[in-house]
Amino acid sequence: MKNMVEFEDIIGWALRIGVIISAILIIFGFALIIMHNGAYPYTMAQLVNPHSNVNTKTIGFHTLITGIDNLNGVDLILLGLIVLIATPVIRVFIGIVQFAKEKDYLYTIITTLVFFNLMFAIFIIPLILK
Amino acid sequence: MLRRGGKHRMYELIYFALLALASIISGFLGSLVGLGGGTFLVPIYTLYLGVPIIYATGASLISTIATSSGAASAYVKDRITNVKLGMGLEVATSGGAIVGSLIAAWVYAHHLASIIYIVFGIVLLIQIYFQLERSKFEIPKPAKPDRTTKFFKLYGEYYDQALKQDVKYYGVRWWLGEIIMFFAGLISGLLGIGSGALKVLGMDWAMNLPMKVSTTTSNFMIGVTAATGSSIYWMYGYIQPVLAGVTALGVLLGSFIGTKVLPGMKNKTIRYIFTAILLFLGVEMILRGLGIMR
Repeated sequence: MKNMVEFEDIIGWALRIGVIISAILIIFGFALIIMHNGAYPYTMAQLVNPHSNVNTKTIGFHTLITGIDNLNGVDLILLGLIVLIATPVIRVFIGIVQFAKEKDYLYTIITTLVFFNLMFAIFIIPLILK
Repeated sequence: MLRRGGKHRMYELIYFALLALASIISGFLGSLVGLGGGTFLVPIYTLYLGVPIIYATGASLISTIATSSGAASAYVKDRITNVKLGMGLEVATSGGAIVGSLIAAWVYAHHLASIIYIVFGIVLLIQIYFQLERSKFEIPKPAKPDRTTKFFKLYGEYYDQALKQDVKYYGVRWWLGEIIMFFAGLISGLLGIGSGALKVLGMDWAMNLPMKVSTTTSNFMIGVTAATGSSIYWMYGYIQPVLAGVTALGVLLGSFIGTKVLPGMKNKTIRYIFTAILLFLGVEMILRGLGIMR
């Protein structure tokens, strides 16, 4: 019983920390965009215009390629969004560990299935469809 | 090239502020009526701010992860959320989300975005029914435990603040819950919303669980459902970084204010006003989808 209670605290913390990190990254990203009036190679107008084709398909990660010194506002925002998507994934992973430790095999399998669905959507579908 | 005239920059900053304001209001309204921010956000973005529905739903779906994770962390600590129940049902919601977002991709690829408007409108109108019928009984009449109750260990217990007592409960008809959850996930992936109302229906009505457990567990599940759909949206490029970023922050802030301002939402008048807003937005989305209104 004691064990389960602790795990619920871990899940609660994981969720909270994920959201906070993500929010900080996004806020810094916006600060950089406003400071530089855009984010290379995009102008502020292109970034804010909802009809422009600046989206997750057309943007590559510049920071990852050129290094952290060319820190780019858009990259920070994207990183924040990735952390946001990763938060529930980590939560599910903690769930697998929790149920395995409790020797609750039925729920270990069920939670692994959920984890598989997530991995399928994140990694396998892009491989199949691209 | 990055330097632009001051006038243009002013226009962009104003538009940016409007997006922020709209997402704060959506998050606020959503948390007051127990719906995700997306329910109000997507109509406001598409009908009044000229955001293409493809990007509006992308931003909305990402923002539901933020609100779900933010709220769930509190409820999990309060031990009202039934983690086991949630994980079990997420098999269906995440599967549904994959199917739903792939359908959305197919619909957009064939330039049939008007279908999304119409389905969205219908979903808004259906939510009205739930708003009016909701929580007549906080704790359901006990039903006979069935085979799934035992097999999937659908037992739980929580302390009810309002009733000032420990409530013991158990769920039934796990299979029916799973079927409804699949459709909840599908709608979430198709429309970019959390579809919390449908999730609550699956637990409250189908599995005979107490309202508090249904709503908090639904909230807990929305994050996983939305993360599944979002990653497919990401691949197809339905997520605009600036729009999604400001939406996630705005909705998060709005729902945070909402939970602080009006805990419980017992006031009937306010609920009727929100129902009227839902009706208005639902009809407008359908009209836009049918091409009667632009």
